[in-house]
Amino acid sequence: MSHTLDRLTFFRRKTETFSNKHGVMTDEDRSWEEAYRNRWRHDKIVRSTHGVNCTGSCSWKIYVKGGIVTWETQQTDYPRTRDDMPNHEPRGCSRGASYSWYLYSANRVKYPLIRARLLKMWRAARKTMAPVAAWRSIQDDKSKRDNYTAFRGLGGFVRADWDEVNEMITAANAHTIKKWGPDRIFGFSPIPAMSMVSYAAGARYLQLLGGVTGSFYDWYCDLPPASPQTWGEQTDVAESADWYNSGFLILWGSNVPQTRTPDAHFYTEARYKGVKSVVICPDYSEASKFSDVWLAAKQGTDAALGMAFGHIILKEYHRDRTVPYFRDYLRKYSDLPLLVRLEEQEDGYVPGQMLRASDFVGNMKEANNPEWKTVGLDEKTGKVVCPNGSIGFRWGDEGKWNLEERDSKGKDIELRLGLKGVEDDIAKVRFPYFANSASNGFASTDHPDVLNRNIPVKVMKMADGTMARVACIYDLMMANYGIDQGYGGEHIAKDYDDPQPYSPAWAEGITSVPRDQIIATARGFATNAEKTDGKSMVIIGAGMNHWYHMDMNYRAVINMLVMCGCIGQSGGGWSHYVGQEKLRPQTGWAPLAFATDWVRPPRQQNSTSFFYAHTDQYRYETVDVKEILSPTAPKDDWSGSFIDYNAKAERMGWLPSAPALKTNPLDLAADAKKAGMDPKDYVVQGLSDRSLEMSCMDPDDEANWPRNMFVWRSNLLGSSGKGHEYFLKHFLGTDHGIQGKELGDTGGDKPKDVKWHDEAPEGKLDLLVCIDFRMSTTAVYSDIVLPTATWYEKNDLNTSDMHPFIHPLGKAVDPAWESRSDWDIFKGLAKTFSEISSEVLGVEEDVVLTPIQHDTAGELAQASGVKDWYKGECEPIPGKTMPQISIVERDYSQIYDKFTSLGPLLEKVGNGGKGIGWDTKEDVANLRSLNGPVLKEGVSQGQPQINSAIDACETILMLAPETNGEVAVKAWKALEKQTGRKHAHLAEPKEDEKIRFRDIVAQPRKIISSPIWSGIESEHVSYNAGYTNVHELIPWRTLSGRQQLYQDHDWMRAFGEGFVVYKPPVDLKTTHVKGQKPNGNPEITLNFLTPHQKWGIHSTYSDNLLMLTLNRGGPVVWISETDAKRADLIDNDWVEVFNANGALTARAVVSQRIREGTVFMYHAQEKQVNTPGSEMTGKRGGIHNSVTRTILKPTHMIGGYAQLSYGFNYYGTVGSNRDEFIVIRKMNKVDWLDEPASRSEAAE
Amino acid sequence: MAITYRALSRLLSYPEAPLQEEALSLVDAIADEGLIPEKIVRSLRKLATSIASSDLYEAQSAYVEQFDRSRTLSLHLYEHVHGESRERGPAMVGLVELYKAHGLEMEISDLPDYLPIFLEFLSVVPNEQAASLIGEAAHVVAAIGERLKKRESGYRAIFGALTALSDRPADKDALDDLLAMEEDDPDDLEALDKSWAEEPITFGPGTPSDGCPKAEAMVAGMQAGA
Repeated sequence: MSHTLDRLTFFRRKTETFSNKHGVMTDEDRSWEEAYRNRWRHDKIVRSTHGVNCTGSCSWKIYVKGGIVTWETQQTDYPRTRDDMPNHEPRGCSRGASYSWYLYSANRVKYPLIRARLLKMWRAARKTMAPVAAWRSIQDDKSKRDNYTAFRGLGGFVRADWDEVNEMITAANAHTIKKWGPDRIFGFSPIPAMSMVSYAAGARYLQLLGGVTGSFYDWYCDLPPASPQTWGEQTDVAESADWYNSGFLILWGSNVPQTRTPDAHFYTEARYKGVKSVVICPDYSEASKFSDVWLAAKQGTDAALGMAFGHIILKEYHRDRTVPYFRDYLRKYSDLPLLVRLEEQEDGYVPGQMLRASDFVGNMKEANNPEWKTVGLDEKTGKVVCPNGSIGFRWGDEGKWNLEERDSKGKDIELRLGLKGVEDDIAKVRFPYFANSASNGFASTDHPDVLNRNIPVKVMKMADGTMARVACIYDLMMANYGIDQGYGGEHIAKDYDDPQPYSPAWAEGITSVPRDQIIATARGFATNAEKTDGKSMVIIGAGMNHWYHMDMNYRAVINMLVMCGCIGQSGGGWSHYVGQEKLRPQTGWAPLAFATDWVRPPRQQNSTSFFYAHTDQYRYETVDVKEILSPTAPKDDWSGSFIDYNAKAERMGWLPSAPALKTNPLDLAADAKKAGMDPKDYVVQGLSDRSLEMSCMDPDDEANWPRNMFVWRSNLLGSSGKGHEYFLKHFLGTDHGIQGKELGDTGGDKPKDVKWHDEAPEGKLDLLVCIDFRMSTTAVYSDIVLPTATWYEKNDLNTSDMHPFIHPLGKAVDPAWESRSDWDIFKGLAKTFSEISSEVLGVEEDVVLTPIQHDTAGELAQASGVKDWYKGECEPIPGKTMPQISIVERDYSQIYDKFTSLGPLLEKVGNGGKGIGWDTKEDVANLRSLNGPVLKEGVSQGQPQINSAIDACETILMLAPETNGEVAVKAWKALEKQTGRKHAHLAEPKEDEKIRFRDIVAQPRKIISSPIWSGIESEHVSYNAGYTNVHELIPWRTLSGRQQLYQDHDWMRAFGEGFVVYKPPVDLKTTHVKGQKPNGNPEITLNFLTPHQKWGIHSTYSDNLLMLTLNRGGPVVWISETDAKRADLIDNDWVEVFNANGALTARAVVSQRIREGTVFMYHAQEKQVNTPGSEMTGKRGGIHNSVTRTILKPTHMIGGYAQLSYGFNYYGTVGSNRDEFIVIRKMNKVDWLDEPASRSEAAE
Repeated sequence: MAITYRALSRLLSYPEAPLQEEALSLVDAIADEGLIPEKIVRSLRKLATSIASSDLYEAQSAYVEQFDRSRTLSLHLYEHVHGESRERGPAMVGLVELYKAHGLEMEISDLPDYLPIFLEFLSVVPNEQAASLIGEAAHVVAAIGERLKKRESGYRAIFGALTALSDRPADKDALDDLLAMEEDDPDDLEALDKSWAEEPITFGPGTPSDGCPKAEAMVAGMQAGA
């Protein structure tokens, strides 16, 4: 056949090629693809993010088809950053990508669940009784109460309908208010920033009732108390994008790629740019792979390393040679040039209080608050001067609270840094030394308790006629770090190889980090800062903050940063990424959350002290206050135990109290009337003549028990409940695994002031309500579980400290099954409460005690010395020497009307935050027209409506300066009055911008610069903390108005924390149970660390099967190869981890990554997932918190003293947990206790 | 169209007071229709009697414990088929569309793959189709039945009845897969360990039997010049 027939003659085939004939266009039938296309077809895409615990605030597309969420993918439409900066996108991680599973999971709570035993009794009682009477009948009958409280955690749930549970819960609330007082109703919910309306819903309900909201940031030990101590600021940090602007990054105790996954790309990009990177962590973590140098410091010894860094920096960059930028920075922005009075002690001196204007004759002509104005020496005149900006100027001296180099008369001054060359004398100053004894194998040296160093001093005449020795903080700081300026002293290192405190050789002995690496890191850090004016940064994490002496770790780092002028500089400073505090539109949210639009003040409690007292952990205290007291403590009575210190702090108005008084606060006003007295005077008189008692003096008396508790957006018992087993025993009254003994049985010192009961109460709570979308460990222990909407089923707001955007949670679908959004749940409770409460409640007067608050004029309470009215040392004066007392009227029939509208107080008294106030009439008027006014007659008529969650979002957005440019300008102008400087220019370009909910649904929006935060958003700099302090000369909210590196409060000095110093971890003495119940396998003790993991927590919890599959499917602990050998363990063995606090069971992961002597258990692995019984306790193995117990630190209780004043989630005791040691051993028998129980039940 | 499905749907619903009253009459209806073998009807009657006579709270908490809280006994069919994979959403969408094609809209706020809903749906389609549809889920039904048997739960009778209604026996492999996946028998520790063990990972292409099958197929295809 001819080849010509192979071709067509009259046709041309319709082909078109492209890409150099690699591609061919065809038009064949492609209908087979339809199946594939349908598979991925969707009706709509909704923007949302992941809710409570994740700092990511990543934008996600949620795909919905036929009312069902089908999958999610990352959004990529963030606003771009700017030229020469990488963009934010993409954000997200594997945890977020597997979240949609939760919506339809078998683990989801689908219906309101209630303990059957309780429901049965309730229904029986309700047949004949009204709701409150029905609840009372159950509570008043001990056998009935025990019939459900003792069965918590043991199953037995049935479904109930919303009307019925709402009625029961509100009846319990009403009964509690009537019988015990509203402050016996407690609510716990963490991290409002991540779904602020959901948080606000519960808090608003509680506050309208007069209930208490508990803090989370301190309780989680995410609060770094060093931040309020140094800056008067809770926490303020750089956004992750600012890492890129840095020149030298130290990643210290933080595991960015693992726990800040969506932000880690900025770190990678910074490294591409050439940034040097040092990573400090004990294990070979994922982060250590980011490093140029990995410093594998012994866990818990970070402050020793920090001291050595400081030693090198002070020696090489301040003493041997001076760097003009560094010196200038210290002079303007730190307390180092200020003066301190030395106090005589034994044969030397100790640093005392900072000198104040009031110490001099005529108060240095400062009429206003002279005792709160710190002083320094003027370089030019050599005279003592009182520079602007200290806290005395903040309250009452308008226009003089600024960091200009001026005094209040307008005279230019230049503070002198150090007294070398102008000294009158040389003084021997005693510095406490703590590293000479350590427990549990931590290294120690044989130096004495006190190190004497000589420093130059001035001798000055004081107002009282005495001649005082006065030192400059700069010189004290040098001496504290062991840097001799030529005056000599004991134990001063000759060179870096001389192992004297705090030389590199000394630090090598403590931390195991080679000295040359320490020196190289310090030099690299400081040299970069010198060349770039402060662009050296430390990213710091939980590995630093979760230790008992976290303040020392942090202050060692902060000192380095201040010595090198890094704080407040873009690309420099500290970045504390632990937990999440950055609720950016805070001042818009606070009135909504705490109902301060209707009633003031709110009841806010620091949770650490609350749980320490009320779960009776104090009854098992193993640490004596004497163990942590400084050898240089001022002469005073430092006896008593931690609970005594806490009680003292409560009665002095330093810390809040919940409940506050043994007497029902609703009865007090009536009692006062009967006595013909003002209720306030009545309480003061009653407390001083002891006819009234504060609850803190006797937490175990039944009148002082918390009675109702709400837990929402949280797994309190599963993840954050330090001292889990104590919660089970005393709070809930159910099975527990406590191994240790109470003080009464061990013969230990019982509390001195706080009343001891030989028989500890068990089962204090009448009702525990858990609101969750999954059956968490907390839910399992609750009496009532309410099903809530997931993060794709509700409208809400979300902000993060990691980026400057405000982001929505979007309702992609209706809440599945019977679940409701948190907003709707609490709105429902408010409605039912208003209906049923009239049975026992009407219009009531409530006596509310509140602590002395930071950022109010009250923070100037006791300027020197600590005087306790209870001991007769001073007069009881509310708001000065004791808690503030307010009388609040509550109409319990109006709870719902108030819940669903914005109250009139904002228009009457304005809004504000952090000590700045502004008028808000116009904003409320705008909101009224946006949300619409309430038409219904009643107390809320005419007020802006807040019916839906979106209304609530709009309320926040309208009132906050960060989302309403007009408010931002007003706020800056309000601050201008205080500082006497111009700041409004920071927000004026955005004055017309008002961010609405629908705007952020369309695209995440950058917030507007506001004086509530110390960083700004602009076209030129990324958000960084302290920026406005340095560049706008706005003082820090501290005693001196400067970065406060010296802490002069009596209690700070008593516990040896005036200056930073290394303190070894404390000995919690819980491993004595070793060998008591042998099972034949070797038992070894290890340090128990609980970092965050890759497979859970942040955006998903640890019961997500996809994530568990990537890990080992259940609880695991990580252990080093050498320790495994000692304990005769191989990988995947079942082990038991225990100490006096309790026991847990897990599989062992044996890994080279882990440092010898430590064991890792990732935070919050769930009890309900694959946890067998423990051989120690015979009960189900506990969770990571089963082997922990809370322990308080007195320095965190200080109040009424400038930056050391209470603020909710701001200052207060923290729940540290890394000092804990445990015993680990292989298990012989793995017994899955639960199955037979549930099986026999099922067979019934 | 068989009323049997509807009766089974009711019996498998959350026990409430009305169900206690009508439980036995539901079994009567099933018996009347005669689709279920006598022996299973007797078991169903036992279940109905137990629902009707036991304390309502105990019946309810047993139901919650088994079906609301145990993943392996979940009454949501796709929990067992798709688990937490992405396929689950589209599968449920398909089911809703199937209901819609028969002119049915869901009235309650549960998921379309909730077994009682599915059973009620089967009661309005022709018997043959119903038998075929239940046949598609036969392995899930059999697996839940098997687990309930282990727990000696009376509810297993319902799953026995459904197996009898199915037009085909459960696919043995699929059933084995399901049962193997969840060896959480407390007494069988070895099986437990096995379910925990991790597969060793082999990197790089090797023989087709130990590499990634998709990648191997692609490589093979490329080598064949396709």
